[in-house]
Amino acid sequence: MRDAYVVGAGQSPFGSFPDATYRSLFETAFDRALDSTSGAFDPDRIDEAFLGTLGVGGRQIGLSAPAVTEHVGLHTTPTTRVENACAAGGYAFRSAVTAVQSGRADVALAGGYEVMTDTSADQTRWWLGVSGDTEYERLSGTTFAGVYAQMANAYFHEYDADPDALARVAVKNHANGAENPNAHLGFACSMADATDAPPVAEPLNRYHCCPISDGASAVLVVSADVAEEFAPVRVAGVGAASGRVGLFERDTLTSIPASAAAAERAYEQAGIDSEDVDFAEVHDCFAIAELLAYEDLGFCERGEAGILLDDGRTDPDGELPVNTSGGLKSKGHPIGATGTGQLVELFEQFQDRAHVQVDSPDIGLAHNVGGSGGGATVTVLERTDVGGA
Amino acid sequence: MRGIDAAAVSLPRYRLAGEAVEEAWGRNPHREMVVPRADEDAFTMGIAAAERLFERGIEREAIEHVALASTTPPLDEGLFAPRLGRALGLGRNVETSEHTGSTLAGAEAFSRALDADGPALVVVSDCPAGDPADGWGAGAVALLVADEAAVGVPERAWHADEYPGLRYRERGSEDVASIGVTTYERDAIRECVTGAASQLDSIGSVAHAALHQPDARMPGRIANDLPIDDEAVEHGTVVDRVGDAGAATVFLGLARALGGADADDRTLAGVFGSGGAGAAFVLDGGLDVAGLVDGEIPDGERISYTNALRKRGVLDEEEVAGGGARVSLPTWRGSLDQRYRLRAGRCPDCETVAFPPEGACPHCGSRADYEPYDLPRVGVVRARTVVGQGGAPPEFAAQQRRDGAYGVVVVGFEGIDATLPAQLTDCDPESVAIGDELRAVVRRIYEQEGIGRYGVKFVPTA
Ligand SMILES: [Zn+2]
Repeated sequence: MRDAYVVGAGQSPFGSFPDATYRSLFETAFDRALDSTSGAFDPDRIDEAFLGTLGVGGRQIGLSAPAVTEHVGLHTTPTTRVENACAAGGYAFRSAVTAVQSGRADVALAGGYEVMTDTSADQTRWWLGVSGDTEYERLSGTTFAGVYAQMANAYFHEYDADPDALARVAVKNHANGAENPNAHLGFACSMADATDAPPVAEPLNRYHCCPISDGASAVLVVSADVAEEFAPVRVAGVGAASGRVGLFERDTLTSIPASAAAAERAYEQAGIDSEDVDFAEVHDCFAIAELLAYEDLGFCERGEAGILLDDGRTDPDGELPVNTSGGLKSKGHPIGATGTGQLVELFEQFQDRAHVQVDSPDIGLAHNVGGSGGGATVTVLERTDVGGA
Repeated sequence: MRGIDAAAVSLPRYRLAGEAVEEAWGRNPHREMVVPRADEDAFTMGIAAAERLFERGIEREAIEHVALASTTPPLDEGLFAPRLGRALGLGRNVETSEHTGSTLAGAEAFSRALDADGPALVVVSDCPAGDPADGWGAGAVALLVADEAAVGVPERAWHADEYPGLRYRERGSEDVASIGVTTYERDAIRECVTGAASQLDSIGSVAHAALHQPDARMPGRIANDLPIDDEAVEHGTVVDRVGDAGAATVFLGLARALGGADADDRTLAGVFGSGGAGAAFVLDGGLDVAGLVDGEIPDGERISYTNALRKRGVLDEEEVAGGGARVSLPTWRGSLDQRYRLRAGRCPDCETVAFPPEGACPHCGSRADYEPYDLPRVGVVRARTVVGQGGAPPEFAAQQRRDGAYGVVVVGFEGIDATLPAQLTDCDPESVAIGDELRAVVRRIYEQEGIGRYGVKFVPTA
């Protein structure tokens, strides 16, 4: 199997852009990805594209991915739309990597797009409830917030842990996002802000929940031959896993088994273990999700995520900075664009041009979850000597 | 003798005090009114009352006839007896009859059950729509009618004559109207009820009487024309505790009277239906009525007048944006046993219980057909949240406006692997915690394509 490399990655700003369309947002991300390569990149070299979107709002349910690639001038390029809820981007990237590894493509485009802020509040909540189990879980009255809130409730009960950890996740990620011009909620917040916000689904308040956002992201995945022309980052491993779509169908309420399985596969492919990771972007759609991610990814023991956070080890100057981009919480969460958006941050860290820069990292990890854990991807990227431009 | 062999009542949890209405409007319709929640209606109250009967050990499979009565069935046209039969797990070969259109409906259903063969289930359940300040209440009664019953019915009689203009509801309207000529109305009610009752041979030996009672004074007015004293009337009068519960009020009064009656006591039920008809029944003996507390209508939780208005949907009703979660009607129907009876499945290879009972076994991966396995109706909280404004899918937004923030739990069961997601009802969700015990009730879940969908919610047992 051939190696795959990332040579460019870019995102549109994440936020609320009533004048933009999913096509124009993707155009911005695509142009920025092309601009991010170390030398000029001819888009005609793209053999294939995989784009993630949930399709919130019901706009262009069919063939929106070709609509996007045609819009940016990739005429006739085969394009596949990937739908795995919030993990659509991670899975789109995995498909692009597979296309390169298999030899079918020398250059594959991965990306995602979503427009969420231009429909009514009720419509938006309708769409936020489409990626859990519809027949039973949603009809108990939950959207994502309710399901993650139940996980938080079970987690703090099982480990007798301090629920203040939720607010501390928000404070950390907002501090990072405040430095990121592409962030949707690019401002710092205090512990008081993050503790006293109005409840959404107990114990989660508004500061424990990511915003709904518009945005797009794009990543260029290439073979070794092509990578040599640029300053690439090596794709060391992409682990993916499915899980039961409904929380109630799982063996555990305090972990996301798909995350743990995806991480195990990614580490095995990369030949590393969790201690080797220098920094990570994790899927913090809700603050509890970041805590569960620390444990599912093996960054700490079960029940000890709050301690990892308390010790400052996931702060930008800690030994394992997490969500230097601001995470979903501050940078935003345009569903289909999130997975490849995380890879934009990884790529920029390796290029030493991140807004909150980690000190010359060798290994970065991105963790992308669909729904409350029906699917997950874990991607490991590493610094490489290939290329040199 | 054929008659009532078992009886149960069920009332929604919440009460509005007449004093609270008086503060707002300067009039006090009844001492207290029962207020149904947004997820309750004649169907769910009827199920709750019938389940109380079955808890007494009556066999579901034995029921041969189901007679339902309500002035407020969930649909203007469309049966709800089949739905009730499915929700209660009755046999598919039951004969059904449904009675609606006036407060006489309960008497019609009861009479039909007396005429039927074999054990018959009578459910009288009602919740007239409207401002609770007008005295509307709610409640349900379930009766098992059988041969050689504890309470025999030796006599019944009817009286009919045209009396237009009383308590009618025009096609398509939710609200009951009346011409409002007080003397005319009272005369109509007295003539119809006493016209029926005076035909009874044993009317002279009645110790208890449950009479048509839109308000607490009407039974006394009817009794004036009959050889019945005030004390007998008091035993069967409950409108001051439940409000005007349509067709159900007299039967709630009857249940209370029978609950307090001795074996050799005689009770009169006198029922009126607007349009101009009365029915009277003599009942011999008494029985223990499920759902009464020390023989009385149970207390509930008092709520404010504004809260009651919200619960009754008087303040707002909006369309569901997006039409609600997309579960097609055929798919929904295919899961009725799961919705009502918590039917899970046991893997024949490893005995793991899975809910819902479909797909590969979550433990061993076997694709063999599950053996039907009904989960217990009592479970334990494994995880809980309270969904506030903004956290609810749109199909629950209207309910949230009416009943406030709601609790959602993952429910587990002792010694069983399967868990299920469910909404809490009839409680302060903030007070529910992991480990608490819960009991299943059938409630209205949501509506899609204009069709009400019902299923299980949970109530704390403590
Ligand atoms: Zn099995």
